[in-house]
Amino acid sequence: MAGSTPISRSSESILATNKVLRNTYTLLAMTLFFSALMAVVSMAINVPPMMAMASSIAGIVIMMFVLPRFEDSTAGLGFVFLSTGLLGLGLGPMISSYLSLPNGPATVATAMAGTGGIFLALSGYVLTTKKDFSYMGGFLMVGLIVLFGAIIVSLFTQMPALNLAISAGMILLMSGFLLFDTSRIINGGETNYIRATVSLFINIFNIFTSLLHLLGVLGDE
Amino acid sequence: MDVLKIVWAVLLGFMIWRMIPVAREWLKNGPRGTSSEWLTTALLLGGVILFVLFLISSLRAS
Repeated sequence: MAGSTPISRSSESILATNKVLRNTYTLLAMTLFFSALMAVVSMAINVPPMMAMASSIAGIVIMMFVLPRFEDSTAGLGFVFLSTGLLGLGLGPMISSYLSLPNGPATVATAMAGTGGIFLALSGYVLTTKKDFSYMGGFLMVGLIVLFGAIIVSLFTQMPALNLAISAGMILLMSGFLLFDTSRIINGGETNYIRATVSLFINIFNIFTSLLHLLGVLGDE
Repeated sequence: MDVLKIVWAVLLGFMIWRMIPVAREWLKNGPRGTSSEWLTTALLLGGVILFVLFLISSLRAS
């Protein structure tokens, strides 16, 4: 009897992990679809760039300050859709400007396909091997701090090379976070599917916007 | 637009301020990877770099 306890705990833990994983990917698919829909609406109604920027800031603020208070309740779902929808709305003018370029539609389509490819490959790798990438935590945190510092500098300077470096760094860093976050979910480090979804959404969102920027600048002779 | 840039900068500054103790904690007490684990990470991220380069070159060729 004593020997059966660890086995039953282990199977319960595996079931809980699978439930978090299933809920996370279901909610992630829904938020990505909703965010894309809001981006299309934003392009259709020609949201001004200033309003788009304000919408993105509002989305981030909700994710940072409001969502953590509701992440253990069903109200958290509403705030997830609100924040991801606002981020999607903020993408509209950016995608419109890329679409107006000569090779624009191909650039946007390549960025979408590339983001999907990176996400599927890295998540698939972690889900298949079940490797623990928690050792990357310190490295990723320091990288994010450096990158945020560089973004602050780029906001007030006109340095195209710095913007390119930020986009390249962001793709690598968010790819690292994809490995880290997915391994946290499958190894039981993350038990809240709302928090897990938001983490993965942010990774995918940043990879897409950075890849779009890189392809927009470097994808043309 | 400048006001929004300042808001962005303040928001990012606030995130940095909140992340510094977390990063310090991870570096001090977080799990350490072996050289083979870091090699796996480097190979995966190298794959991402190659994939992005492939996307850029395929877009240039189209």
